[in-house]
Amino acid sequence: MTVDFSFTDDQIAWRDTIVRFARKELNPGTDGRARAAEFPREGWRRCAEMQILALPFPARYGGCDADFLTTALSLKALGYACVDGGLVHAITTQILCGLQLLLFGSEEQKERYLPSLCAGEKVFAQAITEPGSGSDALALRARAAADGDGYVLDGTKTFITNGPIADVVLAFARTDPEAAALFGISCFVVERDVHGFERGQPMEKMGLTTLQNGELIFDGIEVPGDQLLGRAGQGAMLFNESMEWERALLPAVHLGTLERVIETCVDYVKQREAFGKPIGEYQAVSHKIADMKVALELGTLMMCKAAQAKTDRRRAPMEASICKLFVGEALKSACLEAVQVHGGYGYMAEYGVERDLRDAIAATIYSGTSEMQRNLIARLLGL
Amino acid sequence: MQRNDKIRDFIESTLARTGRPVQDTDLLLEDGIIDSFGIMALLEFVEQTFSIRIDGDELQPDNFRSIAAISALIERKTTRLAG
Repeated sequence: MTVDFSFTDDQIAWRDTIVRFARKELNPGTDGRARAAEFPREGWRRCAEMQILALPFPARYGGCDADFLTTALSLKALGYACVDGGLVHAITTQILCGLQLLLFGSEEQKERYLPSLCAGEKVFAQAITEPGSGSDALALRARAAADGDGYVLDGTKTFITNGPIADVVLAFARTDPEAAALFGISCFVVERDVHGFERGQPMEKMGLTTLQNGELIFDGIEVPGDQLLGRAGQGAMLFNESMEWERALLPAVHLGTLERVIETCVDYVKQREAFGKPIGEYQAVSHKIADMKVALELGTLMMCKAAQAKTDRRRAPMEASICKLFVGEALKSACLEAVQVHGGYGYMAEYGVERDLRDAIAATIYSGTSEMQRNLIARLLGL
Repeated sequence: MQRNDKIRDFIESTLARTGRPVQDTDLLLEDGIIDSFGIMALLEFVEQTFSIRIDGDELQPDNFRSIAAISALIERKTTRLAG
């Protein structure tokens, strides 16, 4: 076993470029957009120009050929420098949809969709969650009935990230209602202009307000057979596989945010004085920030372990779940402490600390709640 | 240990939800011997133990329907590699 903690020149270059870019191009105006719950179209377009959306995809589809670890580290840099958590999450979702197309799509599907995904010309969403199935995702009820060479898709999805603005949706539905969940689910590529497809209005949320989440309604949509992603009945396997990628990539973003929160706290406690000295000199304050740093370093190691496994195309269900659980909880806890460290100023919207906290709470819910990650880890231990 | 026994041993010791011996042709998923969580652990075990990679079209539930089906998949993969 060899362990090398140094980053490559490419990884460092991507990080530095993204940090400079995000601070200059993405952050101005975030407060207003976050209050208005407005999707940052211009920021999305600029990220596409910077090829951030294209990072892990082959050059022949318009991608950058970056490996998965480099992609994760780049998104960590974006999570660090970009204060619009909703935009970063939307970008991550786009990349995750692209990975599913890359791993399971036909050559025709890759040529048709990946270039516009990389260029940000089309917004992609993955639709599995339904009003009656969240954590128990495979209990979904959307139905795709075989009809000639294709399928007829009916069902309602909810909370779908990028859903209200999606041009292309990877929709999961039951193709064999009698079969066990792992056998009876398939995934379809659905385009927004198809008859019977309706995108709901963005839902109002506690945080990540620029991220657009909403309902998608499939009402008797006719889906040609060549819009099936993978094979019929492969949907659950595809979903399980995609969760491993997602549970490495989203924590990378969270770690970037955590790094920024620590910096914000350190700067504040060095200049804010109480009872004649900077509050950072009080252990009641400094220990909170020390704990944040511990979580950042440990979480980064776990994220890199999971991302390296996926770079090597190895399975990493345990690593991905540990990473998602640990980093999501660490970020939520750190953001709560950051508000406390900032006192009254932390509670005020002007400082941005409370927005990070509202954003961070979702990190323990989406992509499998913390409770579900513990269930997964326990099952992998044979419990 | 033979291939089928290695798979059986892993399933019985780590994944099985029923507590009874698992036969080669028992339906692992349909009979609830393993669940959707367990399938990824089984994949990881098979890939590591038999030095193969299973992805794309091979990630089919049918390939994991029973110990016999998993064993047949490994046979096809290793024969292809050797060829």
